[in-house]
Amino acid sequence: MIKQRFKCPSCQKIVTHSGNPGEPKTVYCPYCGSKGRVIFSSLEPKEDLAIEVSHLKKVYGDLIAVNDISFGIKKGEIFAFLGPNGAGKTTTVEMIESIREPTAGTIKILGKDIKTQFNDVKKDIGILPQEFLSFERLTVRETLVYFSKLYKKRADIDNIIEAMDLKSHEKMLYRNLSGGLKQRVGVAIALVNNPEIVFLDEPTTGLDPKARREVWQVIANLRDKGKTVFLTTHYMEEAEYLADHIAIIHKGKIIAEGSLDELTTKYGQGSILHIKDCKNSNALGILKEKGFDVTSEGNDDLAVKIDYKDRVLEILSDLRHECIEYGSVDIRRSNLEEVFLYLTGSKLSEGE
Amino acid sequence: MKPSIIVSDFVASIKTWLRSKGTLFWTIAFPIILILIFGAIFSGMGEVEYELYVQDLDDSEMSHTFIEILEGTGVIKIINVSSEKNITSFIEEENIKRLLVIPQGYGETIIQSFIDHNVSVNISFYFDPSEQSSSQVVRSIISDVVLSMNMNMTGGRNIVGIKDISTITEDFNFIDFFLPGMIGFTIMQTCIYGSIERNTKFRKDGILRKLLTTPITRSEWIFSKMLFMLFLSFVSTILIILVGVLVYNVSVNINLTMIVIIIATSFLFSGLGMIIGRFVKEEETADTAGGAISFPMMFLAGTFFPLDQMPEFLQEFARILPLYYVNEGLRNAMIYLNQSEAVINTIYVLIFASVFFIAGVLLTKWKED
Repeated sequence: MIKQRFKCPSCQKIVTHSGNPGEPKTVYCPYCGSKGRVIFSSLEPKEDLAIEVSHLKKVYGDLIAVNDISFGIKKGEIFAFLGPNGAGKTTTVEMIESIREPTAGTIKILGKDIKTQFNDVKKDIGILPQEFLSFERLTVRETLVYFSKLYKKRADIDNIIEAMDLKSHEKMLYRNLSGGLKQRVGVAIALVNNPEIVFLDEPTTGLDPKARREVWQVIANLRDKGKTVFLTTHYMEEAEYLADHIAIIHKGKIIAEGSLDELTTKYGQGSILHIKDCKNSNALGILKEKGFDVTSEGNDDLAVKIDYKDRVLEILSDLRHECIEYGSVDIRRSNLEEVFLYLTGSKLSEGE
Repeated sequence: MKPSIIVSDFVASIKTWLRSKGTLFWTIAFPIILILIFGAIFSGMGEVEYELYVQDLDDSEMSHTFIEILEGTGVIKIINVSSEKNITSFIEEENIKRLLVIPQGYGETIIQSFIDHNVSVNISFYFDPSEQSSSQVVRSIISDVVLSMNMNMTGGRNIVGIKDISTITEDFNFIDFFLPGMIGFTIMQTCIYGSIERNTKFRKDGILRKLLTTPITRSEWIFSKMLFMLFLSFVSTILIILVGVLVYNVSVNINLTMIVIIIATSFLFSGLGMIIGRFVKEEETADTAGGAISFPMMFLAGTFFPLDQMPEFLQEFARILPLYYVNEGLRNAMIYLNQSEAVINTIYVLIFASVFFIAGVLLTKWKED
């Protein structure tokens, strides 16, 4: 049995499914519920990996900051490296960016070992370092031109300004920009060489919710352009909103890895359909008979655990078929906070 | 090394500099203000007691009386010089600022003058014109004493005269001394703080981490920043020379030695700034550390006043300070036109520059621990 990622033809989201190599299978998109048929590859091709990390370790004296971690990031996906402050996120990403020397382990970017071939890799990566601030007294355009001139392969500055929605600010000095705009410029700087892989280290830390949303949109657009994004964050909403693939790091170790669905299903309660004001006392029994995991929440409310969204339609049509009436329904999915709580015994925000 | 990257970085540095009013002030206005203020203050500065070396070749009752009268003014401290000393070499070796020679036959001539009204004798006053104000004070005291002696003895006929002998062939005053010191000091400040900013602020802001992941190499970056530092050094030098020439009428000689010293000084203090920036990571602390090193050096290396006005042990200490050789080298190259001294000091500056700059480059690292 292997896991493989597919792009949903309806909602364009990347979803992960499990199956046997070479075997066709009918699957449902967990986002839009659409049904489709996929064929699993006989082998998971290695050349699809943008980044490959093996047994990476970083030790400072007695402190093991990163403890023997391994993971792979596929081309074209947004990978979120989620964990509380001090978990080892930035140390890890900075080892991958060759800013820090690993104590042990190997890192490959686009198949090249960065220990010996990092200069060859530089043209293919774009980086927004943590808490990055650019030259205060250059304008937005001058900043982008400055960084683009460091590369042989350059993206069109006008296109970047357009794509990052910076046109109205291009003549402003960097120091006069708001926090959100500075981060947008930071992402824009990371794109001046039209890289294949973009590293964004805590890109929304310290931003207000509106500015954070704006940066999220910019990052989501990168995926649409086919970029691979390595995102480190301690905001679970950020990972939930953006990531195709999430690794949770805690005390230097990766404690869980997978898509949001996989993580919430495996370590959380999955998705729950809440049926309110269902006055028919038979409803609970009928749904149980049909094989659903259903519990009463009192006050005529029912909670049904569901695997995929299209199961909702199935449940509701069953109730209608039995002439059972209800007030309202809502679906609540487990979040990463619950996953983190389950895995570590503490909330993500408490782990800081 | 790619010229396009270096040019791009250099242009960005110039733009940033021109847009920072604070930096512009410190680079341009500050040295001008300093030279105007210090020039005005020190040009008119006086001493409470002035040392006067006296070589009494006559060793008579008359000459002793004259020396006692001078000492009796309470303003002059007499230091006797043996009659065997060769005055010219003594002044040069000991760097004597003021010296009086009473010639042999001084007393006899005075006694003879009562009989023969045509005889007279000259005492010789050697002085360093770069110490203009204090030399003038001592000269006027000697002159007063001589005048009253002539009055008392003959009722006004000049028996004793004063022959003024400058110890330096040209006339120099304080501003001539001060201007090269100001150039050395300004380059030191610009380069130390410039390097510190690059190594602390840019590290804190993540710019160095960012650059590490781009194709620019560390040597390209350092080279382009050195170009910028040299640009600033020459801007400051030109401004200071202009003010010196236009306001204080300083006679400045621009020559190859001076240019070599300015270039070497820029490398020297940029290297020192890199070393400070390497060991002191926080921006604010690094500025303080820069100040703690540059300010004492500024005062102790003979920037604003001659070393011989300081205690002996501080004079010795000054000789281990790189800025001392910068100041002396520039003075000899630009003002005194003593090229052999200028070259010796330039060699010292080049040695210091090599050591500090190489150490700075080796110690500067972009990678994090």
